Amino acid sequence: MLKRNNRTTSNHDNQNQPDSGKIAVVSTRGLGKNFGDFSAVRSLTLDIYPGEIFGFLGPNGAGKTTSIRMILGLLRPSTGSASVLGIDVQKNPEAIRPRVGYMAQRFSLYNDLTVLQNLQFYGAAYGLENDRLAERINSALEMAGLRGRERRKTAALAGGWRQRLALGAAILHQPEIVFLDEPTAGVDPVSRREFWDLLYELAAGGVSVFVTTHYMDEAEHCHRLAFIQRGEVIAQGSPGEIKRQAVDGRVLEVVSENAGNVLKVLEQLWEEGESLEMDLYGASVRIVTPDQRDYRKQVRTILKKSGVVFSSVEYVEPTLEDVFIASMR
Amino acid sequence: MSSRIWSLVKKEFIHLVNDWWLPLFMLLGGATELLLVGWATSRPITNLPLVVLDQDRSSASRAFIAQVENTGTFRTAEEASDLDEIHDELRRGDVTAAIVIPPDYADKLLDSQAQPEVAVLLNGAESIPATAGLRAIEGVVRAVGDELLLETLSVPEEELSGFVPRLRVWFNESLSEALYTTPAELGLMLEFTVLLFAALAFSRERELGTLEQLLVMPFSSMELIIGKSIPVVIIGFTDFLLMLGMVHFVFGVPVRGSLPLLLVLALIYLLVELCKGLVISVMSRSQHQAFLLVMMVGMADFMFTGYAAPVESMPQLLQAAANLVPAHHWMEILRGILLKASGIEVLWPHIMALVALGLLVGGFSIRYVRRALD
Repeated sequence: MLKRNNRTTSNHDNQNQPDSGKIAVVSTRGLGKNFGDFSAVRSLTLDIYPGEIFGFLGPNGAGKTTSIRMILGLLRPSTGSASVLGIDVQKNPEAIRPRVGYMAQRFSLYNDLTVLQNLQFYGAAYGLENDRLAERINSALEMAGLRGRERRKTAALAGGWRQRLALGAAILHQPEIVFLDEPTAGVDPVSRREFWDLLYELAAGGVSVFVTTHYMDEAEHCHRLAFIQRGEVIAQGSPGEIKRQAVDGRVLEVVSENAGNVLKVLEQLWEEGESLEMDLYGASVRIVTPDQRDYRKQVRTILKKSGVVFSSVEYVEPTLEDVFIASMR
Repeated sequence: MSSRIWSLVKKEFIHLVNDWWLPLFMLLGGATELLLVGWATSRPITNLPLVVLDQDRSSASRAFIAQVENTGTFRTAEEASDLDEIHDELRRGDVTAAIVIPPDYADKLLDSQAQPEVAVLLNGAESIPATAGLRAIEGVVRAVGDELLLETLSVPEEELSGFVPRLRVWFNESLSEALYTTPAELGLMLEFTVLLFAALAFSRERELGTLEQLLVMPFSSMELIIGKSIPVVIIGFTDFLLMLGMVHFVFGVPVRGSLPLLLVLALIYLLVELCKGLVISVMSRSQHQAFLLVMMVGMADFMFTGYAAPVESMPQLLQAAANLVPAHHWMEILRGILLKASGIEVLWPHIMALVALGLLVGGFSIRYVRRALD
């Protein structure tokens, strides 16, 4: 498996950035869904381009799965429209299905079937047969690292393997775009990283990847993102763009062995303006300041006055998590 | 310790309340079934069809017939003109009993030396009504015998020869219940196995969470339905053949009619129940809910198959309703072909009804399932 080194796509806005001349593989305009008087999705407007990994981020219940379902034609939208590969989802959903891959949030292979039987079913369902089917199954097994284990029952596989198998099944028919709904939920970090390696390979091969997640570190690996909260998109763009857009202030990091005390003291004694956005991170406290001014001196003064020991107070690069939490509040 | 137990008990009740259909089934399903079946079976057996060939045409013979009618077990007797007609009616299963009164009945009645005879032919293919009918007629015979006794007190009892009705039981020679009930069970088993298997079709996928994945695949809803149905048909039909073989070879149930016809009609009936099962499978949120729905439907149908009590004795409303139940027609067909050697010419009303119901149920269920899958 190829190990990718350019994980810092978030810092390179230009990398793999599509120009607006390219045709979108997925387009939604004002897509919305109401269940009774509850708006699961309000007005979703986005475009996804070929060969990019598009991340859909949001807390649980924000409307991520509902959005995917509407784009895939599994759910009828209340408002708006969606098109995939240029085909209107509401009018002609059948035309889309053979060209699209889907990995549901809930594990959707058959546990009582063997690895091989599952792949055979998926392949045949998508019209693959004989040589092509065998070849695709082989490459799926290769990709998932399950060569030699194809006769094991799927239920016997551990978490990370199941996800890889599910991905393999989803791309068996070589779709142009794959939709992955929280594909790494409950998977250990090593497996997660390996999984994303696979996604990079896919994207490099020209396949578009639409992935929902609430792992912030995964979000950093996407080419473009949309933050969704309570059915609405509250930020959209590349990770770098979002960080610049969404955070008014900057992120200050106080490193201290007694980080808990730092937090307490700052909470009690900060008088200027609004209270600070502060979060504990093990041996440090991250503060999102309300604006661009330099707050370091003030923070140092307060801490020194209270006798709290700290090793540094410096500005750091905001992570998506900072941005995400700040924008959610 | 007891508070731990109590917290567990409480939790179980919470589950029960959340799965509301389970306690509903337990409380209502069982009680309703009991009520309906009890109602249907507790009623005295009445309204059985009767045909009479009165070759004597005397006031005595007419009195006999009137007394049989008065037992209330039979409805008004129809008159037959000859024995052939009686045989036909029995063969078609149109009557439960036939009484033939020979021309010398009245004479023998008055003659204290002679033994008056009456022939009673019973439709043994339905032993429960037949037995009831037999009892009623025997009762009349005893009453007539007692009357005779009263009228001719001067003659000593030993000299009075009794009244011996000669019985000819048609079809089911030993009047054994097994021949009545095993075809019924056979028919019901076909219904249950098909319904159950079909009902699991989509509820299983939904419970496993794989239904969504199936819907994303290039299957059309029709393809999904057909793909799910084929195994049900194969297994259901094979099951039927096995059960048929078993009742025939092990229990001695005959196949007096046309076997190919039976198999074709079994297939048609199977398809009807398949459609019902598919509807249940998309309605259900989980497999065990599907299972319970199948039990409820199956038990309701069970009542209409005449297994526990003859349909003719049921209240008019239920009798009319029975015509809408595919299982009822299937049971008539099954019994007809197995026990009465009935052919299409006799069974066609049931066949037509089955096909009509099949198209109706089938059409509705396919539309419903497709709508649900979309």
